[in-house]
Amino acid sequence: MKIRLLPSRTFQKAIFSALAIISVFEVCAQSDTSSVSNTKLKDSSIVVTNGVKLEQLSANFKGLNQLPLKSVSSQPYISLQQLLKGNVAGVYVQEPSGEPGTEQNLFIRGISSPLLSKRELFDQQAVIFLNGIPLIQDNPFAYEIQRYDFNRIGPATNLLSTINPDNIESIEVIKDPLTLATLGPIAANGAIWITTKNAHSGYRDISVNSYYGYALKPNVTPVNAAYENNFRAPFYDKYASISDRLNYPPYLRDSTNADYYGPANWGDLYYKNAPLYNMDLSLTGGSDRANFRFFGGATKNANIADNTSLSRYTGSFFINAAPLKWLTVSSMINYNRLQRVRNRNVRDRLAEQRYIPDLTNPLTPNKNLYGSYLSEFDKAIDNNANNAIQGYLAVSADLNKFHYNGRLAFDYNEGIRDAFWPTTLLEGNNFVSNYSSYNQRAIGSNTIGYDVRFGGKNKLNFEAGQSFMGDIYKYDYAYAYNGPNDFVKINVVDPASLKPTSFMVYYYPAKMRSALISFSGKATYSFDDIFNINAVVRRDGSSNMQPDNRWMTNYSVGADWDIKKHLLSSCSVTDALSLSASWGRLGKLLSDDRFNAGAQYRVDLGWGSEPGLGSYNGIAGISRPYTSGWVGYGIPWAYSDQMNVGVRLGLLNNRVRVAADVYNRDDKDQLLPIPVASEWGYTGAYQSGMSVNNKGVDLFITAELVAAKNHAISWVGNLNMNYNTNKLTALPGGLNELVIGNNKLVVGKRIDAFWLLDNLGDYKSDAEIPVDPLKGRRISYQGTPIQVGDARWRDINGDYVINDNDKTLQGNYLPKVSGGFGSTLGYKAFSLDVQFYVALGRKVLNQYASSRLDFINTDANNDINSIKEITFWEQKMDLSSYPVYNPWSSVVPYRVDQNLFLDDASFLKLRSLSLSYDFAKSMSKHKSFRKLELYLSATNLFTITPFKGDDPELVNYNGIYTGYGLPMSPSVITGVKLNL
Amino acid sequence: MNRSWLLLLATGLLLILGSCNKQLDIQSSRQADEAGHWTSYEDARSGLIGLYGLFRAAVADNNAHWLLGELRSGDFKSVSRPDLKAIIDGNLNASFPAIQSVTNWRRFYAVVNACNLFIERVKECEADQRYTESYYKLDIAQARTLRAFVYFYMVRIWGDVPLITRSQDGTFEQLPRTKQDAVLSFVEQELKEAAPYLPYLYSGNDPEQKFPNNYYGNNSAYWLNMPMTRLGAYALLAHVAAWQGRYVDVAIYTDFIINNASKSNLKLLSSDEVVNSLFDASNTTLGYNQLLGFSFLKTKGETTTEGHIEELTLANTTLYAMSKQMPDIYVPKDVISVIFPKTNGNDDRFGVDTTTFLKLPTTRYFENYSSAVPVFKKVRVVDGSAGNRGKFAVFNSSIVFTRLEEIRLLRAEALAVLGQTNDAFTELNVIRGQRKITSVSPASGADPIDEIFAERRRELMGEGWRWYDLIRYNRIKHNNAAFNELIDQGGIYWPIAQDVLNRNPKLVQNAYWQ
Repeated sequence: MKIRLLPSRTFQKAIFSALAIISVFEVCAQSDTSSVSNTKLKDSSIVVTNGVKLEQLSANFKGLNQLPLKSVSSQPYISLQQLLKGNVAGVYVQEPSGEPGTEQNLFIRGISSPLLSKRELFDQQAVIFLNGIPLIQDNPFAYEIQRYDFNRIGPATNLLSTINPDNIESIEVIKDPLTLATLGPIAANGAIWITTKNAHSGYRDISVNSYYGYALKPNVTPVNAAYENNFRAPFYDKYASISDRLNYPPYLRDSTNADYYGPANWGDLYYKNAPLYNMDLSLTGGSDRANFRFFGGATKNANIADNTSLSRYTGSFFINAAPLKWLTVSSMINYNRLQRVRNRNVRDRLAEQRYIPDLTNPLTPNKNLYGSYLSEFDKAIDNNANNAIQGYLAVSADLNKFHYNGRLAFDYNEGIRDAFWPTTLLEGNNFVSNYSSYNQRAIGSNTIGYDVRFGGKNKLNFEAGQSFMGDIYKYDYAYAYNGPNDFVKINVVDPASLKPTSFMVYYYPAKMRSALISFSGKATYSFDDIFNINAVVRRDGSSNMQPDNRWMTNYSVGADWDIKKHLLSSCSVTDALSLSASWGRLGKLLSDDRFNAGAQYRVDLGWGSEPGLGSYNGIAGISRPYTSGWVGYGIPWAYSDQMNVGVRLGLLNNRVRVAADVYNRDDKDQLLPIPVASEWGYTGAYQSGMSVNNKGVDLFITAELVAAKNHAISWVGNLNMNYNTNKLTALPGGLNELVIGNNKLVVGKRIDAFWLLDNLGDYKSDAEIPVDPLKGRRISYQGTPIQVGDARWRDINGDYVINDNDKTLQGNYLPKVSGGFGSTLGYKAFSLDVQFYVALGRKVLNQYASSRLDFINTDANNDINSIKEITFWEQKMDLSSYPVYNPWSSVVPYRVDQNLFLDDASFLKLRSLSLSYDFAKSMSKHKSFRKLELYLSATNLFTITPFKGDDPELVNYNGIYTGYGLPMSPSVITGVKLNL
Repeated sequence: MNRSWLLLLATGLLLILGSCNKQLDIQSSRQADEAGHWTSYEDARSGLIGLYGLFRAAVADNNAHWLLGELRSGDFKSVSRPDLKAIIDGNLNASFPAIQSVTNWRRFYAVVNACNLFIERVKECEADQRYTESYYKLDIAQARTLRAFVYFYMVRIWGDVPLITRSQDGTFEQLPRTKQDAVLSFVEQELKEAAPYLPYLYSGNDPEQKFPNNYYGNNSAYWLNMPMTRLGAYALLAHVAAWQGRYVDVAIYTDFIINNASKSNLKLLSSDEVVNSLFDASNTTLGYNQLLGFSFLKTKGETTTEGHIEELTLANTTLYAMSKQMPDIYVPKDVISVIFPKTNGNDDRFGVDTTTFLKLPTTRYFENYSSAVPVFKKVRVVDGSAGNRGKFAVFNSSIVFTRLEEIRLLRAEALAVLGQTNDAFTELNVIRGQRKITSVSPASGADPIDEIFAERRRELMGEGWRWYDLIRYNRIKHNNAAFNELIDQGGIYWPIAQDVLNRNPKLVQNAYWQ
């Protein structure tokens, strides 16, 4: 189908005018040949949207929160989240599937709200700045029209797959409250600061990077129907009635049926070694007064499962110019195209089709039949593409004590998905859907600064800034069933009536706009580089807030003290010692515009399985937002109070460097849908007042165990670790606890805990089942008496009724400790780099085991959870350790909300191992190139974990393991990095 | 010189941004704000349609209309779904999501709240000249009737329910349950007051000019009897009275409906019309016979999977291929033979096809009769009857609450209870005649109540009546000890979902289910 890059009309204008301005400056630059220093041009590229980034005093620790790019750029990582995973303390990345380009989550220093839905998940993500542009992401408002939220409609591609590490100068994780305060409310969840390599002057600078390799097929244990039959046998032997036996699933009934009982060789078609590659080139050059950089690249990442892949094509262009001695102009255009080949999971397809066919007979484990099923996809269309373009034009003027930075920036990305599935895949009906969307952000910002020096050692700097950020999120989504045949995919319109003749189209357009206006002021006082005191004040106005609460003013302060320089300059043991402390208050933005007007009316005629229904008798109807929840008035800004105290210590000539940050983060006045009496019709009412505390420690250690200077051998060890714990400190309206769906929130307890029954095993005989002495009734599950064969649950309140009151908060789905460690061993030009990734103190709820064991209900419901993928014929975990309950029992003994299915999912992974050889080092006299490095890397080599499922990482954002994630397989690549 | 250049640039860039607050006034395009709402004809229309839509959602979600009304102690058996089996067995405490969902009354109260709000606010729409007094009066009458209807619907399920008659925006008071008699007397009062303001037909012939002509721009064939009609309100009055055992009133109200049926284009349908056309609201002539119902129009994009008995009952048959091999629920053959006894003669709905040599069973109600699990196909409007032969199992059948046949049987029931046995049999025999079965003569000694309820069981199968019929039957007969116990202990009512109880501590679970 067609390939497009069509930004909205206003946006096209903006791009063209930006290009026009750039060309004007180019002319200026050519006409003026006086020189400016190289470094200055470099600085001008690091223009910050709001204020200038704060630098702390401890110079040796500059790279502390930075990603070790040298190491990770030799790995076939496709997304920013993968780059960051386990490499910077305080960053935790969730990767629920190994499928390339799927959504991944990135949290910095914990979460400030329970992840009740994808909306909260979105609101907890850290913001990503690319050269100072906060990147816009897909807004979760599209989930409102979706029946299932497994995948967002549209390409659902991870937009942070657009970062090619070869194009990056540095990636820094910003956690310091004061620095975040200068970035504004968009950075309330922490920020990732990406600086690309930029244009600089020089004769020429060409670099070429490339790798090629394979993702390798894993070892899986395929099974056929005999396995499933044997698995079910003990349940049938023990509990089945005659009629239950008569209802034995047809596909298991006949053991002579070779389709199911034959060889389980489907894996040959499903799992295949998958090629990975990257090729990129950059060219930098120009004069001191005008220079440029070009970067172009193509990358493909693939998964061994189901022929999934993501291709990325990148082109970036940078021009810097200094038309006048004190004035520099810098610009960037960065374009990425992402094309994703998605999985062919039945569930994902049916979720989009919003239709559950008869699921009695699953796919067969037999290769031939599975192959003919796959061949039906030859008729299907599943095109997923994203185009993302960012750019800026920045002006920087430096006039002795005054300096000025101005910038116009934009980030525009669009997603296109065309899907068509033929009649053969859906009960004789074909399905077509088209989706196109764009997210657009435009930013204009100005800062003006003034420096004062007095008394020789005192420096004072003032800065004032202002910025405007406008966002638009838009999508158009249409789907239709039952086209005339599998070849005609367009809607033919009857010429007389103009009514469509072939498809009945369901069409959903949506658009959301928001704006943020900020004013900020900053003052820095520094004394002889020993003390640094910073203060920030800012006032932000958001269109998503109600008019009477539109603006919020916040203050932040921070100080650094270089103890080494001040007190210990003669001390020989310590080479660096500094202390810093900062406190900041940041407003938190709402990502949805539906709160800005208070009481409202919406389309709410649908229900659980039919959310898109908008009319009755063909006429649109609206009502109060009963399903999405009441929105009232007087909603204040939520805010985040963050405090950080850090120590930096360097020992033994700075060969050992230790840094520790202790932090405390209180997110207050947050909105939460509070359950209210059902008699008013609402699922809940939004009220502000939820507060969550996160506190923890970030720890970094680097140690040069063997220093490179004196020996041929060098050995550097590194460690980054985060300990984080969260606690709910307040609920709206002074409530102490509340229940939302399957989540319970209790003040003083963790917000990422599971709410579960306590499983104590089983009842061997009727005599063991407790009887209520007062009523003479057996213990019951919500009124249904417990029998032998049911689970034995702890009756916590002793009322002989097992219900929600007997559930307790247990475990947590975010790890208490996470991080990474590794070492680099160098010998002459060889270098061996090993990195481990670790997450400890983390639990998951094993829904996979629950639904496998609860096969009676799973099969009978014939709903989206009853779908058996081809991976049904794979032994993902050993289920024999679970007790044998009666799966027919109406108390549902294998219900997932019990700690029988709460598994420890701590893990240690050998994430990467790479060996490189640098020719430039070995042939130091030969200078035809600056760098020529060959390397061999392997990723995802092994995992150590007590978890029983296939991979403890492949877990949904809310800690539920479904077994749906595609595996993260090992991969091996060889690559070359060449700088000329 | 340089410095002034800089200042110029700085001011220039600052000016680009202009005034701030104005740029922050962005109205959401995904909702209508309170300010400026209830000011136009369109606001009234969308608000009114919202009431119907919410009601439909309440009874369609999880097929609640049938889970609540058809299954319990009914004629259907579950093939393999344990949650449906639990409902059929009256094991309503069982902890299945479907049961939790249908016992949650939030969606019904959303209708109540929307009606209350509509009644309080729609007057403001008269600011729009197109929204005339006659529109206003008619819309208010509909909202009041719908509110009464939803209360009656809830009382049948839960007994005592909190009676709320104001919208009280933004406050969520926790209220205790109101005695069902108080609720029902409110319902009756409301229906009586509203009924005269409702027309027999929307956009119909109206010489008095009392009602808006071309109501909201649509003709009568468009509306059918989908909005609440006067006869719809009377049908509700009759059922409220029947529920309370006030059969004198039932007789009066049903008499009114039967006498005025033609004004609403109602008629008694042949068996073929019932099976082929009644449930399809796109039928612009027979569609009128959905006296009180909720439609799902294919041409308007209202095709759904859930909200239709077809989702539960349909499956592949020799005459109608579907990919679903087994239905969720079915009527076992032995039950069918009890319901349709041979002594009745050859029943149109289920009997013997005398036109064929083999004397095969007729297929109006059931197909696949020869297999162990017959398929109940009385209601089968698959994908707007587009002729895809069920390959795409989405449905458009309306949820029909009542129709003329049901009203006539209710009248027969009332007459029988009132002792007018002959009249009761006459009324019953009208329906029996319509279905081509032999009349029952008063002289036969047959119990009129038994005969009438047996006929209801046949005629209304799959329409969400069975459980309420059983209650009324046992209240009249009072001869089934087990059922008497249910009635006495409140076991005829459903438990209230735990979620509802958690949200309002003033509510007490029905004693039977504690």
